[in-house]
Amino acid sequence: MNARQWYRDLVMGVRFTVTGGREGWTRAVLTGVGVGLGVALLLLTTAIPSALDARHAREAARTDITFSASAPMPRADDTLIAANVDTEYGDRTVRGRELEPEGPRAPLPPGVAEFPAPGEMVVSPALKELLASDAGKLLRERLPDRITGTIGESGLVGSAELAFFRGGDGLAAYLGDQRVQRIDHFGDRDSGAEPLDPVLLLLVLVVFVVLLMPVAVFIAAAVRFGGERRDRRLAALRLVGSDSLMTRRIAAGEALAGAVLGLLFGAGFFLIGRQLVGGAEVYGISVFPSYLDPSPVLALLVAVAVPVAAVLVTLFTLRGVVIEPLGVVRTARPARRRLWWRLLLPLAGLAMLYPMMGQGRDHGNFNQYLVTGGVVLLLIGVTALLPWLVERVVARLGAGGVSWQLAVRRLQLSSGTAARMVNGIAVAVAGAIALQMLFAGVESDYTRSTGQDTTRAQMQVSVPQEVPVAGAAAEFAATKGVRGVSAYAEGYAGDRRSDPGTTAQLTVGDCAALREIARLASCRDGDAFVVRDAEYDTDTRKLAVPGRTLYLDPSWEGVPRSKEIPWKVPSGLRAAGTRIGMTGGEQSGFLLTPKALAADAAPALTGQVYLRLDRGAPDAMERVRNTAAAVHPLATAMTWSDTERSDRFTAIRTGLFAGAACVLALIGASLLVSQLEQLRERKKLLSALVAFGTRRRTLGLSVLWQTAVPIALGLLLASAVGLTLGAVLLRMTETTVRIDWSSVLSMTGVAAAVVLAVTLLSLPPLFRLMRPEGLRTE
Amino acid sequence: MTPPPGSLLCAEQLRKVYGPTVALDGAEFSIHPGEVVAVMGPSGSGKSTLLHCLAGIVTPDSGTIMYQDRELSAMSDGERSALRRSDFGFVFQFGQLVPELTCVENVALPLRLNGTPRRPAEQAALKWMERLEVDDLAKKRPGEVSGGQGQRVAVARALVTEPRVLFADEPTGALDSLNGERVMELLTDAARTTNAAVVLVTHEARVAAYSDREIVVRDGRSRDMERAV
Repeated sequence: MNARQWYRDLVMGVRFTVTGGREGWTRAVLTGVGVGLGVALLLLTTAIPSALDARHAREAARTDITFSASAPMPRADDTLIAANVDTEYGDRTVRGRELEPEGPRAPLPPGVAEFPAPGEMVVSPALKELLASDAGKLLRERLPDRITGTIGESGLVGSAELAFFRGGDGLAAYLGDQRVQRIDHFGDRDSGAEPLDPVLLLLVLVVFVVLLMPVAVFIAAAVRFGGERRDRRLAALRLVGSDSLMTRRIAAGEALAGAVLGLLFGAGFFLIGRQLVGGAEVYGISVFPSYLDPSPVLALLVAVAVPVAAVLVTLFTLRGVVIEPLGVVRTARPARRRLWWRLLLPLAGLAMLYPMMGQGRDHGNFNQYLVTGGVVLLLIGVTALLPWLVERVVARLGAGGVSWQLAVRRLQLSSGTAARMVNGIAVAVAGAIALQMLFAGVESDYTRSTGQDTTRAQMQVSVPQEVPVAGAAAEFAATKGVRGVSAYAEGYAGDRRSDPGTTAQLTVGDCAALREIARLASCRDGDAFVVRDAEYDTDTRKLAVPGRTLYLDPSWEGVPRSKEIPWKVPSGLRAAGTRIGMTGGEQSGFLLTPKALAADAAPALTGQVYLRLDRGAPDAMERVRNTAAAVHPLATAMTWSDTERSDRFTAIRTGLFAGAACVLALIGASLLVSQLEQLRERKKLLSALVAFGTRRRTLGLSVLWQTAVPIALGLLLASAVGLTLGAVLLRMTETTVRIDWSSVLSMTGVAAAVVLAVTLLSLPPLFRLMRPEGLRTE
Repeated sequence: MTPPPGSLLCAEQLRKVYGPTVALDGAEFSIHPGEVVAVMGPSGSGKSTLLHCLAGIVTPDSGTIMYQDRELSAMSDGERSALRRSDFGFVFQFGQLVPELTCVENVALPLRLNGTPRRPAEQAALKWMERLEVDDLAKKRPGEVSGGQGQRVAVARALVTEPRVLFADEPTGALDSLNGERVMELLTDAARTTNAAVVLVTHEARVAAYSDREIVVRDGRSRDMERAV
């Protein structure tokens, strides 16, 4: 045998694929679609790193305000002042910047052709669309500026991003505010990515393996579509003189053609998907189609690995098939599946993970190769164990009704086909259960309490120093959906004008507001109080000397000079008791009612307004944000929550959900394609069954049982492997092992729903195939 | 339409078109209980379509089919299915046995579809397999038996419900002459003992020789070739 012979036989196989008439083409297209779906998902995965890089690069390129306190840059003809005026709308963030160029050479932000004048703004396409729609009516009230242009792609991180730049005026007065900065360029010149926490890196690795394994399993199954018809054709070839090896090579050629067709379909699906992705937003993340460029090396790997895998899988599956030249393919009675080597795979996986048990996050990164290898082997273990499990269980199933009997006998005859069909879903469920367990286990490490008491306030608005807080409070009180307002003017008093040695907080509010943050025996406007024994406060005692002059809003070295307003500690200072405030800490320092503070001291203080909302009032939060924007463009409205989670943890969890959704959709599609392929091969038999009066219900139920039995077994095995893997991963991160039953039930429930959907979708073609026309031969 | 006296199944002026192909164009047919009628004709002449129409598998575009004074074409799909389960039996060229069921389960299948419990259905199936000399294959699957054996199993399956009419579409088409003759002997003998009428579609004269009467179909039209047995 030489390469020439190999080539000749492979080419003959390829020719069979394209010359098989309508039947042949149908089979080739089904294989192509199946493999193509897998290839598209692989290409998408290989494009994810570059998409994330592209988002990161765009974000870095438009960086303006760094929130770092440093000496102000002098005004020049190439400077501009940028103010961060981000806002929220519903659960979406709207990136906003107010820009005031200070000279003709002021840098333009990426994606903007010219600076908007005051009263004008340029917006992202998604924001433009939102503002023009009914859904964006309340946001339009907040952003009333005239839209004069659109932000180009280079200024946005995603196609669905909501962003605007508007013209500003007089921003120099706010340069002391961290959200307002003078800059001479856009872009962060050292935007190196922070290293990922070891546990998060572990999560990322496992997420990738878990999402890609089912795809690989599915591609292996797809290249075997049409196996029965192909076997009959190979028998005919044996009859005309092909030897056994030749027929195998011809079969490999057919699989190769299917795989190549799959690559073409996959490239097409990927290009279509790439465009569709451009218009979609998943969990707040959107990308531009141009971001999704697969890494050339990885794309080449996919292009080579898929056809090679197709040939190998075909040769492997033909091992147990004896093709005789009698026109009949006699499948050699498959040898009883052995358990020992199937068990070796998951055990080897566990052995690879074992050395990292108890490592935790304090001993550096987990060994990436051991993690990937261990998880891959454990999940491959599912695909190896499942055929054995299905064979053993279905061999013991008894006869029931006709539909049950048809299904069980079919499973007994070829349990391998059934197991192959559900392998992908079992792997996905096992991986997802393990990951959900890991996520649930480490969630508390990445979630911290904010201290915010959401029973006492649901929103907080910070208003700049110039805005009288009482007036702002009145505006908020009059806002629809606001039930109560606690307003304070807050600042610091130091013992020196600049670089004070000791400082104390100074809070001004009416008696009701002060009672929210301290225990007061009695209170009238004009009273002044001091809280001396609050936790973490040692300075107030030193400063609370009646008649001593302190300085409000003292200056600090390296930052712009502050107001430094002298203030005399009142003589009638009364002691107040501590109380946990709305923000979770004890308020310390001086507490003054409005009349106790001289009017000239007010500019040194910043307003904080805490709002209680009517939870039943629709759009209350949006109306508050609108009021805040009307009070002052730099007023910041924040929504309170009891806890906040690490952004990266949330992003990885979000990625898992998005990936799992894609994989489940793929598996659903693959199950459907496999099901249709099997039904198509049985068209004549189905018609014959109908000819002698078989009810449609009987055949429909038999299809359901045929899928449901292996799926049930697959889910059982997947749950066991998933829980084991989850427990191992938790032990690796030194987290208490706790079974997250809700994730087990939800994942198995979703898988069961996929099966039900596939069965329902395959019923119309089943009924069509049962038509008597199937008996026609001419 | 007035059916010929004593006829079990008869058809008049049947017309059936598949796209541009006229499969039947005014075909006529009748059969009496216990009679074996061979439907002959070249490939594509419409003989299988005639069989499918007579069996209620396909509804003709026009014409009438009467079975025991009931008009077949007026029945619903469900009624025709029920009739096929209870009164008709079928043998196809390639047996069309369900590959995953054992031979005895295949033979018992029509009874089970009629609601007979598994055990009595399989007992009845074994009796018919004995008559057709394939009882030793009871536990084997169709893939493990020869073509001739499989076809005899298919005949047993067609007769297990003791149908009034047995439809056989090229029942020996995939067999060698020796096996074909044996299958035909067993099929006609079994049908005669149950007084079943047999509609036998074939293009082979030696198979048609087992019939009492021949009908030749050509271009969708039928011609009765009355002949004495």
